[in-house]
Amino acid sequence: MITGSTTALSDLAPPDPTPAGATAAAVTCALARVRDTAEEIFAALDDIRAATRGRARAVRRGGRRLVSADLAALRPLLFGRLGAVIAGIGFIAAPGLLADAPWYLEWWQENPTGTPVQLLRDLDPSSSAFYDYTHWDWYAGPESGADRTICGPYVDYLCTDEYSLTLSVPVTLDGVFLGVAAADVFVRRFEAAVVPALRDVPVPAFLVNAQGRVVASNTARWIAGSVYRGAEGFAVRPVPGLPLSLVEGTAR
Amino acid sequence: MAVNVARLAVFSPVDSTARVDVVVRRLTDAIALGLLADGEQLPSEAELAGRLGVSTVTVREALMALRQQGLVETRRGRGGGSFARAPSELDVTERLRAFAVDELRDLGDHYAAIAGAAARLAAQRSLPSDVAPLWRSLDEMAGAESNAHLRRLDGRFHIEVAAASQSARLTREEIRLQADIGPLLWLSHENLGGHDETAAQHRAIAEAIGGGDADRARALAERHVLDATDHLIELRLRLRE
Repeated sequence: MITGSTTALSDLAPPDPTPAGATAAAVTCALARVRDTAEEIFAALDDIRAATRGRARAVRRGGRRLVSADLAALRPLLFGRLGAVIAGIGFIAAPGLLADAPWYLEWWQENPTGTPVQLLRDLDPSSSAFYDYTHWDWYAGPESGADRTICGPYVDYLCTDEYSLTLSVPVTLDGVFLGVAAADVFVRRFEAAVVPALRDVPVPAFLVNAQGRVVASNTARWIAGSVYRGAEGFAVRPVPGLPLSLVEGTAR
Repeated sequence: MAVNVARLAVFSPVDSTARVDVVVRRLTDAIALGLLADGEQLPSEAELAGRLGVSTVTVREALMALRQQGLVETRRGRGGGSFARAPSELDVTERLRAFAVDELRDLGDHYAAIAGAAARLAAQRSLPSDVAPLWRSLDEMAGAESNAHLRRLDGRFHIEVAAASQSARLTREEIRLQADIGPLLWLSHENLGGHDETAAQHRAIAEAIGGGDADRARALAERHVLDATDHLIELRLRLRE
């Protein structure tokens, strides 16, 4: 849990010319930058959710169960969202959803040579020590009803060997959980998007996830990957609508 | 993200400057770690080339090198193709013969440094969500029925410890060292105290990480590697040339 005082956005206005006012204005900008960056990714996930749900509904109307080939229809949408910030994106089926594969990922990654690459789908529990994706927070969060999950930063040794964030949302049809729409974002790219705004905050300031892991920061003392467990002289400000908080130094 | 995927990463694209040895190393790692199971069919040359983002010529040369190492077997005709061949117990002894004693010591020193640093950082930085996978792996190991399964879970446990350090480089190095010396160390653990002793060491490492005891986590992880290395060196000294 994250402890500390919080400040409503409305408390910050109007801007005043004192140092405290300058800090508040810069914090407001940083919060806006964080929201813009994350909202763009969640908007892509909303599109994938809608397309997956539409496909599942159409197949069901046709009187049969969804199969893995049905999910290929998502590809143009997935390919269009790769690049810029998103390094990998797709739909992860709930085990047992598909008629032809107990475990399945329609998952695509960007590729330096241009054409997106699909992850191999070897999900055979007998040949792999890694197959069960339902334990991962990016799956378990949406499955347990979380509207928006941000998992990480964590070392993604399964996919890219990169320090990454995975953002995910549940996909449901008439209240039934079908699986998860998710996107991978390298931490360095997320940092590149939000650190310029954090840098303008004249006090130590950093973004943490719901567990307190630092995502991006303007100070080496609290760098991405370290854990904020609450500390004297810091205030915690939830980022509206996201499982993230901005922590800022309050000491003079 | 995702899945069984240390395996999936095996086939993710390598950059355009990559050469045959990059492909060889990836596949060697995957087979040594058991990510590609013994007897499992590899994708076709064309498919491998496409997935790895290299030319079919590069893939062909890499497969040839792997065949020479006995890690890949290629069969012609109907039902033919290239198949992973896991090194057998006998091969492990043969492999041990290929290392000089000072090389074993050096590998052990390197691995102990990586494993120790990773465990120390993991203890400092991990959250309950990083520790949970460690216990899950240990629970699965306790119930594992085949030696191959146990070996894969052992690899996964140590990769999870490295990942909990939050260092991508330490994690990559852990994976690479497992490929270099993992099967040998595994043999050594088995001979040393059997699975019970190994399991007790694993539990102690997970407890130190979960408890945030960085010094103890480091010392235990180093000891885990160095004990096994010492034993390997004893075995190597007894091998007749």
